Amino acid sequence: MANIDTGGGGGKHKGGGKVRGKKMSTRVDMTPMVDLGFLLITFFILATTLNKPSSMTLNVPDKTEKVETEPIKASKVMTLFLGQNNEVHYIAGKAANEDPKLETVRYGQQLRQAILDARAKIGADFVVVIKPTPKSTYRNMVDILDEMAITKSKRYALVDQLTPDEEKLIADKLK
Amino acid sequence: MPIVKPKRSAPTTDMTAMCDMAFMLLSFFIMTAQFRQNEAAAIETPTSISGIKVPDTDIMTISLDKNGQVFFGIDNQEHRRAMLENIGEVYGISFSDREKKSFGLLPNFGMPVNQLKSYLALRPEQQKQIKQPGIPVDSTANLQTNQLAQWVFNARKANSKLRIAVKGDNLAKFPSFKNVLSSLQSQNINKFNLITGTEAPPAGWTND
Repeated sequence: MANIDTGGGGGKHKGGGKVRGKKMSTRVDMTPMVDLGFLLITFFILATTLNKPSSMTLNVPDKTEKVETEPIKASKVMTLFLGQNNEVHYIAGKAANEDPKLETVRYGQQLRQAILDARAKIGADFVVVIKPTPKSTYRNMVDILDEMAITKSKRYALVDQLTPDEEKLIADKLK
Repeated sequence: MPIVKPKRSAPTTDMTAMCDMAFMLLSFFIMTAQFRQNEAAAIETPTSISGIKVPDTDIMTISLDKNGQVFFGIDNQEHRRAMLENIGEVYGISFSDREKKSFGLLPNFGMPVNQLKSYLALRPEQQKQIKQPGIPVDSTANLQTNQLAQWVFNARKANSKLRIAVKGDNLAKFPSFKNVLSSLQSQNINKFNLITGTEAPPAGWTND
């Protein structure tokens, strides 16, 4: 099939000369070899993990050492509540007991814009407080941490306790 | 005059070049191959723009699946066996050589310590069929309810250079992650890596 017969077969004997051995073609049929090659390639492609996972570093504060820090002013803080169904509720520039406006955004572009807007309004010493609620997922948390890296918000804190005021504020969002 | 017929030949191709290429690709894939480990639980990680690669060696992986079950594994077989011996001392269980060998082959596992011995006695095919319940974890220092802390502690005793990676599923609820976090924090481990998939950063974003 794949080999080319280049002739070389001894046809006629020229008048009474020596009878030469029939020359065989040196071509090898490569089809099975190629088949096998591709089969192995397919196997190795399927068996390898091509995209190596990356990792993001998470540093959490030491629980054992108690450093008293100055409380941050509520006017400098944007608080993000990770709600259910991939929604983020946030308040910016006001504490939970000052009747703030609770906004709701989705992850991705909307959230990014909200963070950038809040930073533009509050200024350089802007702090983000991330409060994952029990309804949020691990993915939500990674997305938020990623968003911090994208918007280059250096000062953020992951806090898993809601104050009573905050609970009241987002209670109807978590039903 | 006879009609001149074009000489017919079989439709043949020279396969040499194709064969060369196939084997070149093959050798490339063999050399770069890293085989997928047989994981105890299927975990779909979220993606992030972080480009830091996960190291291959000296790593312990704490996996969190979508039901909040926790699985644990370290990379080196020697260290796995040393870790199992340490755990045996803590819980007063002695493992036979065969069980240690079987444990050394597990990339990760999610069995409570009291069920581990019977699990290791099974053959690998039987082990696969058992649904692992996950390692008990909470924020206390209780030996029974916070076994993850013991595993982490004894893994570090076996290999002090271990770094910690947490691999969570997209759908894992935050409270289960919080348990893992507080279990680690209770041992004063405050720095770890979250394993994520890779996604492209938004246009115009630069790392600085």
